[in-house]
Amino acid sequence: MRTTPIMEKQEEARERRLMSLYQDAFPLVARYISRMGGSFEEAKDLFQDALVIYYEKIQRGDVVLKYTEKSYLFGIARYLWNKRYQENNHQVPLDQFGADFDERLNLRDPGYEEISAPRLLRLLQTAGQKCMELLSAFYYERMDMKEMAERFGFSSPRSATVQKFKCLEKVKETVKEKSLKYEDILE
Amino acid sequence: MKTSWNELRLIEDYLTANGAPADQVLFEARLILQPELKDSVYWQERTYGLIQQYGRQQLRSEISRVHEKLFSAPEHQSFRQKIRKLFRK
Repeated sequence: MRTTPIMEKQEEARERRLMSLYQDAFPLVARYISRMGGSFEEAKDLFQDALVIYYEKIQRGDVVLKYTEKSYLFGIARYLWNKRYQENNHQVPLDQFGADFDERLNLRDPGYEEISAPRLLRLLQTAGQKCMELLSAFYYERMDMKEMAERFGFSSPRSATVQKFKCLEKVKETVKEKSLKYEDILE
Repeated sequence: MKTSWNELRLIEDYLTANGAPADQVLFEARLILQPELKDSVYWQERTYGLIQQYGRQQLRSEISRVHEKLFSAPEHQSFRQKIRKLFRK
């Protein structure tokens, strides 16, 4: 049976969910990394990256589970490990472990890229944090206007929509203005 | 709704390919005719990229908090031991 998981949007519920994913899947990933000669820190970093990727894939409606969330997360982590391992020019060891855990991962989409323009991001965090929170709830967490109104205390979904546009306009203006001002922000 | 918001919405529909195919074509035609619209699309796309990065950062700190809890709270001691054992050489 195939299932499509969803992610909790309410903050406490999401923390419980992340906690249970961590408890469930981290031991498996840690054991794999340890067998491959990796350290605790490497296992931790890799697993946290895998959680971010998993979350983003769920938000895009991109995850169809054949087995369990644990095996899916393990699949992502193993993919990341092998990718980094190869890039470091090490020999790739034969993987004698966990053939049952393969899920269709489709990780080659461009949705996951490294952070750039950190300076501009810091600026937006300090100068327009409220707007960034609001926009991120809509675009990253994919909340609808009703959920937005609840979280941010707007009187109606309609006023949440208005606020979203105000913020998008404001942040876009800042991005443009600051990027042109400090050309070194542009790659 | 303000006119400038209308443009924001049109650009958003275009970038997310949410509009009807005919609207997409129409928008592409406008892009050729109005260079300033092309700029505006660029900045909006960049803004979405930064919002994405911001959201990802927030998620990362949530995940780190969960990790801290698991590796410090008394009730998770057996979980910790299980993990630590894996890395004891």
